[in-house]
Amino acid sequence: MTTPTIPPPSSHPGLSPAAAVGAASLWLWMAAVIWAAFLWAPPASGFKNVYSSRILFFHVPMAWVSLVAFLAAGAWSVAYLTRGRRRRHDRAAAVAVELGLVFCLLATLSGSIWSRLEWGAFWNWDPRQTSIVLALVFYAAYLALRSAVEDEPTRSRLAAAYAVLGLVVAPFLFFVLPRLTFSLHPQPVVNAEGEIGMDPRILVVLLAGSAGFTALFFWIHSLACRVRRLTGGNAD
Amino acid sequence: MWRWLAEATAVLAKDWRSEARTRYALNTLALFAVTTLVLVSVGLGPLGVSAAGAQVLPFLLWIVLLFATAAGLPRAFVQEEETHTATALRLAARPSAVFWGKLAYSLSLTLALEALVAPLFLAMVQLEVASPGLLVATLAAGGFGLAATSTVIAAIIAQARARSTLFSVLSFPILVPLLLLVVELTRDAVAGEAAGPALRQLLLYDGSVAVAGSMLFPAIWNP
Amino acid sequence: MAEIGGGIGWVVAVNLVIWTGLFLYLLRLHRQVRAGERRSGGPEGSDR
Repeated sequence: MTTPTIPPPSSHPGLSPAAAVGAASLWLWMAAVIWAAFLWAPPASGFKNVYSSRILFFHVPMAWVSLVAFLAAGAWSVAYLTRGRRRRHDRAAAVAVELGLVFCLLATLSGSIWSRLEWGAFWNWDPRQTSIVLALVFYAAYLALRSAVEDEPTRSRLAAAYAVLGLVVAPFLFFVLPRLTFSLHPQPVVNAEGEIGMDPRILVVLLAGSAGFTALFFWIHSLACRVRRLTGGNAD
Repeated sequence: MWRWLAEATAVLAKDWRSEARTRYALNTLALFAVTTLVLVSVGLGPLGVSAAGAQVLPFLLWIVLLFATAAGLPRAFVQEEETHTATALRLAARPSAVFWGKLAYSLSLTLALEALVAPLFLAMVQLEVASPGLLVATLAAGGFGLAATSTVIAAIIAQARARSTLFSVLSFPILVPLLLLVVELTRDAVAGEAAGPALRQLLLYDGSVAVAGSMLFPAIWNP
Repeated sequence: MAEIGGGIGWVVAVNLVIWTGLFLYLLRLHRQVRAGERRSGGPEGSDR
């Protein structure tokens, strides 16, 4: 099955011309987002620490991406189980979780530093902070499961089943958490993102940043999947 | 349909019969629960009836239950793998019968555990419950959720290494919504307040896990 | 850390972490692609 061939020119360094243009556009887009986040967008009102509040333009998109990663991993897990147990789907799910973990970690860290600067405490246990730390724990559990099973097909199907179970249970957090944490904590953190959305320039940068980070996620994801495939199945 | 019921019941009966011979799971669950309860009561000491303590007590009850089930329930599947009876079971009954049979077994163990632990806990920490009916409903619904989740996760980890720690690692994130709901309901029961949307959501959680579990089980159980 | 200078400083630091981390990761992926292609004689891989 492996016959030595001369790789076609467009395969090195692994990007076709169209993809190269796409990647370059993405980098330009992100550069614009960064510039806008620091210089173009006005400081968000309602925050006493105006300069710190710019973390918003990075923290929110990254938290958003970790949600996207979670959903994507769930979708690929369902695909794995229902569409013929294709390795491609399992590989995609695993990579999505790994990347999601990184974004989640960054979002949690940036969020808690910001929280410390703005509200005096690293952690408030409001619904958003709680759900992001639970996502972190879930990702870690998924990866722990994968590392505990040697046989590849078994690993893939067990991990897929666990991911789907997580997907089923996660929505409950959406309606249970707000009820529980509202009773204990004030609302600045939860409402903050709603209030600051008021200024259109801020909203634009937030949306552009979220779109950019999401595109970044899928781009890195496809690269990482390709690498995994080349280095032999699910080897790291 | 009746064959399915017969198969599921046979799985349940088989597990209880083998349990009756050794009483291993019952002993493990009971011993773990009682030991932890004593620890909790000794730790709390005079705090048991103070206002601050009362807030945390419902949570402690459920932590004891959670850890006890984590200690005792995975055996339902791990034992099949260890004694190599899993293959025979795969041949003897269809997956859904195995799932519901094992779920029934785990549920019966959990309810028995709760029947032991809850009164003991209330007595040891001197906690009075204004709405015992709500507490019983919470224990029943919460117990079902615990049993259902444990059944699915146990089936998963039975085919992996590092089983006992992995079980807790995998089940606790899934159980968080359940834990939040049952603690809220238990607090309501203690304070004599109405249940609110929590009971409805708990039942929804139970249903979701049961349905998802039964749909995922064939993929988990069969290669 | 609540002064103005510190305020923007840590935001810049977070950005540095993100973008250099990303750059290094992409570099690593790139090297793995090259190694993988060299080993198997061309871009390929099986999905089943």
